Amino acid sequence: MQVKLETDGQVCPFPLIEAKSAIDDLAIGDELVINFDCTQATEAIPRWAAESGYPVTNFAKAGDASWTITVQKQ
Amino acid sequence: MLISGLIVGTVLGFVLQRGRFCVTGAFRDLWTTRNSRWFTAFLVIVAVHSVGLFALQALGVITLEAEAFPWLATIVGGFIFGFAIILAGGCATGTYYRAGEGLVGSWFALIMYALFSAIMKTGPLSGFNTSMRGITIDASTIYGSLGISPWVLVAVLVVAVGLAVRHHLSKPKVKIATLPASKSGLAHVLFEKPWGAFGTAAIIGVIATVAWPLSAATGRNDGLGITTPSSKLVSFLVTGDPELVDWGVLLVVGILLGSFIAAKGSGEFRIRVPDATTIIKSIGGGALMGIGAALAGGCTIGNAMVQTAQFSFQGWTALGFMILGTGVAAKLTLMRKRPASTPTSSTSGVSV
Repeated sequence: MQVKLETDGQVCPFPLIEAKSAIDDLAIGDELVINFDCTQATEAIPRWAAESGYPVTNFAKAGDASWTITVQKQ
Repeated sequence: MLISGLIVGTVLGFVLQRGRFCVTGAFRDLWTTRNSRWFTAFLVIVAVHSVGLFALQALGVITLEAEAFPWLATIVGGFIFGFAIILAGGCATGTYYRAGEGLVGSWFALIMYALFSAIMKTGPLSGFNTSMRGITIDASTIYGSLGISPWVLVAVLVVAVGLAVRHHLSKPKVKIATLPASKSGLAHVLFEKPWGAFGTAAIIGVIATVAWPLSAATGRNDGLGITTPSSKLVSFLVTGDPELVDWGVLLVVGILLGSFIAAKGSGEFRIRVPDATTIIKSIGGGALMGIGAALAGGCTIGNAMVQTAQFSFQGWTALGFMILGTGVAAKLTLMRKRPASTPTSSTSGVSV
């Protein structure tokens, strides 16, 4: 299953706080798609995923100051 | 040569934006995630700057001035400032460079910060500010009170920060996902590649050191500073007195410019309007930031990076109370139990 989390308009650390709380509710193997526009999150979210052992299955720029990252719960 | 202020500011703004260097995050993470990676990077700046500063003094290039320690204003101001940067979503420099990225919330915070620092320094609250800062104890620097060479403290700091950096770098490497590259060569390094925290910090430490002689050459015997220049910028805008435009004023204008160039060049500039709650928090946070920084005698740059590098009591006391203020604000706002989120529906903001 894939779940979407929209965090546009929120500055750090809120996109990461939302992502942490959203992934708690997912089952192993589910994916969380996080859309964000906070520049610092381009560093913070991939680092959090790596340190938590969640594989990143997609990470792309959606437009000017707009990104999407997909993290799989493990 | 006032123009060097604009150049240093532009470089600094560029580096802050590309390095995603957020001092508020560095202080906050100590409390929220118990992570000291960014705080260690922050201390790298102080250590590099401290070595540079005392070397410049030893070479006779600059003369560091010592003033009595306004302990009460530093404690109260540092705490208010630390609290405020959580509300505003960034410290003084953070707010400048996020404003350059197009974050409208930071525009509000920046305007209020500059306005309230002017109100405190030269406006109706200047009497209050002066009397608070008039409460002093006759001690200026830590090494002066201990009766030792500043180099002893520089050495202690360098070793401690070196050990902290080693601790962070020796952690097992994790593979961090990166965005696919669309540029190559220098453009890739400058406008695309993620910069490491410690490398960015070392560059900022060098910029902070270089700032001293350049600023002193224009008659402003000081390093990087944000609060007084912001206050002078406001005074200049309302009086038109060109005398107010000094090296520091051009520095802060440069930060805005540099971060805009960095954001624009890397496709990270977009006008982003937050919700009403965030705007109100930015306004309140910005105002308190101006009040706190004026009282404390500096922000995360002027106090926590420049005064600390000089080992003044004001710098280290302000740093301690800023971190404390950040902790209290983080406990009150970020670490509160959030209502159970419903990830399938949009939690906030506008869908892309």
